[in-house]
Amino acid sequence: MLTIPQTAGGRPARLVTLFGILDARGSKRVHYIFDDGSPAYAEAQLPADGPVRSMTLQTPAAAWHERELHDQFGIEIVGHPDLRPLIFHENWPEGAHPMVDAVSEVPWANRKYRFLEVQGEGVAEVAVGPVHAGIIEPGHFRFSVVGDTILHLELRHFYTHKGTEKLFQGRTVADGVMLAESVSGDNCFAHAVCYCQAAETALGRNAPPRAMAIRLIGLELERLVCHISDVGGLCTDVGFAVAAACATRIKESLLEASAQCCGTRYWRGIAVPGGLRRDFESARAVELSRAVAGASAEFAKLASMILETPSIQNRFEGAGILSSETARDLGVVGPVARASGIDYDVRREHPYGGYGHQMEVPTTHYGDVMARARIRIGEAAISARLIQETAGVLPEGSIFEPVAAGGEAQGFSAVESPRGELLYWLEVRGGRLARCHIQSPSFQNWPAMPFAVADNIIADFPLINKSFNLSYSGCDR
Amino acid sequence: MIFEVIEQSLRQPDRVIPVEALLGNCEGSRMPEVVADRLTPAIAEKLVELCPTAAFALEESDGRRALQLAYGRCIGCGRCAESGEGAVRVAKRFALCGLTKQQMVRQWDDSGGGEIPARIPGPQDIRGEIESLLQRALNVRQLDAGSCNGCEAEITALTNPYYDLERFGIHFVASPKHADMLLVTGPVTRNMAGAVRATYEAVPSPKLVVAVGACGCSGGIFAGSHAIVGAVDAVIPVDGYIPGCPPTPGMLVSGILEVLRRRIAKR
Repeated sequence: MLTIPQTAGGRPARLVTLFGILDARGSKRVHYIFDDGSPAYAEAQLPADGPVRSMTLQTPAAAWHERELHDQFGIEIVGHPDLRPLIFHENWPEGAHPMVDAVSEVPWANRKYRFLEVQGEGVAEVAVGPVHAGIIEPGHFRFSVVGDTILHLELRHFYTHKGTEKLFQGRTVADGVMLAESVSGDNCFAHAVCYCQAAETALGRNAPPRAMAIRLIGLELERLVCHISDVGGLCTDVGFAVAAACATRIKESLLEASAQCCGTRYWRGIAVPGGLRRDFESARAVELSRAVAGASAEFAKLASMILETPSIQNRFEGAGILSSETARDLGVVGPVARASGIDYDVRREHPYGGYGHQMEVPTTHYGDVMARARIRIGEAAISARLIQETAGVLPEGSIFEPVAAGGEAQGFSAVESPRGELLYWLEVRGGRLARCHIQSPSFQNWPAMPFAVADNIIADFPLINKSFNLSYSGCDR
Repeated sequence: MIFEVIEQSLRQPDRVIPVEALLGNCEGSRMPEVVADRLTPAIAEKLVELCPTAAFALEESDGRRALQLAYGRCIGCGRCAESGEGAVRVAKRFALCGLTKQQMVRQWDDSGGGEIPARIPGPQDIRGEIESLLQRALNVRQLDAGSCNGCEAEITALTNPYYDLERFGIHFVASPKHADMLLVTGPVTRNMAGAVRATYEAVPSPKLVVAVGACGCSGGIFAGSHAIVGAVDAVIPVDGYIPGCPPTPGMLVSGILEVLRRRIAKR
């Protein structure tokens, strides 16, 4: 079994991700990435042609990762408490491991899946999904309830699994970015930049300063749009339609400003390994910055009105508490972690691109829906400020440095996406991608949701779910 | 507090985009448009070469060669407009959609001889037409068959105060049993195929199915993956296609109306 590295303070390092790779000789290996508090993260590897000891009982955050390893690579995991299939549903045959086998024709099967059964007097099961009542991504929730109170929630996801990591393989480094942009559409720019930075690290080249500054503007704009949208969504889920409509209006004004500034509403097709595809006129950056200032001021006003509304306080406070201890055990990241007392932000701990150590990071320890709303409102204001500061002093110079993709190289990079720590790890052989692993914050945070909803009433589930706002496609890939 | 919010809201200027400006507004989608008279055989070959989803193709018939553009495959990456030497530009207005994938294909003579069969929808009296097509209302159920959530973000935007789809009588419903139309996004994943069929079955007849986005139309960037079954029409019958990656709210409204118009004309 792997020895878990320690932080400078003597605590076990946080598991960021673990995933399978096939080395150049075709042998299976497990690659681990830990956050030991150093700016560079810590990496480790184990051979995996034979059985690998599970670390789930020491590090619960490893549970889903090891199940994925078992599904995708057929790696035998010893001592895992729950090795039911995670990624592949009933219609996948047993023994299909797409990451190691040729997968042109996977036969259809009809396997059984066993949900955890909660027994006892008065316990009822409520099954929701995969198709939900609204414009939402698919996933299945199995509630065990007594009356209105949730005893246990079991998640069944990966309905939107598209085999994305396998699709990267064989593509050129330049082409991979389009796939990265389609992993989770509402934060496609974070995925694109993270992929590009990983490629740049692997190939030993940095994007020019002007490209880094423009990337920072795009990343912060994406965060601002997501947080405004999330706060509006929370209002929708408690029936506060006026505030929700105001939030969608502010969000739309930012998307429009984006389209005018760089020809795309969500910054698709802007980032490439080595920098950016096109430059920004300075006048456009100023216009965008002005739109951001206006939207941010409007949102701040709206947010304070929302937070001061008694019926909102009544619904948000105390709902869906995620304790700091559970969040730590499960390696939860992003605004959800910061609302549960974990003072962690990739922009500050592992600075990249145009960010530095001096980042302001709001945190609180309540861990409820209100805490998660407050964190997002606080971060939105900081993002708006960062955009305005950066747009005013864009460095001159080129926006693109070609990256040569010969030989063999590995590299990874992390980005603080709107949902939290996003990491791409990739390996290049002969100019083409041999492996690309995506560690999305949604994959990391979903397992924490059942802990937050336990003991709440089922009618509060949509609200709690929205306060986590996790991406299904980002998780399922 | 709530009165302050309402007051604040009433003070806001009206942001509703007039219907004439909304239809076909594709700003931000980077849909390509071919400038026919600047096309040369060399540029046409280059476009075919650099398109990541094979949306461009060369087709020979009657001794002339045509450059085809299958909009259902286009993910709006913008490479063609960047490197097309002026023969491709980003469209300002785009309302193309189709009852069949073939209707989303346009073709041009590759030596600058112009478009071969030109087909640009030009609605005249839009308001009157919407009323005559929709009568009172159209109930739409959105179904995510495996999308990246980019299309969902744009479909959700249809209900915001800028686009305000309800003014046309188009309403998003929670249950497929209440729906007239299924708006299906994403490539159909293997894990969703059963649920997609079940949802289709639950919609009462007569029903319309519209495939949305490059993934819904053709599988898009995910075409060929072992974990997807294919485009939407690989799993359920499709009545219309709206291209784009993702289609903008303007393209979605135009597409929904155009599919209705042509379906009704066919009856």
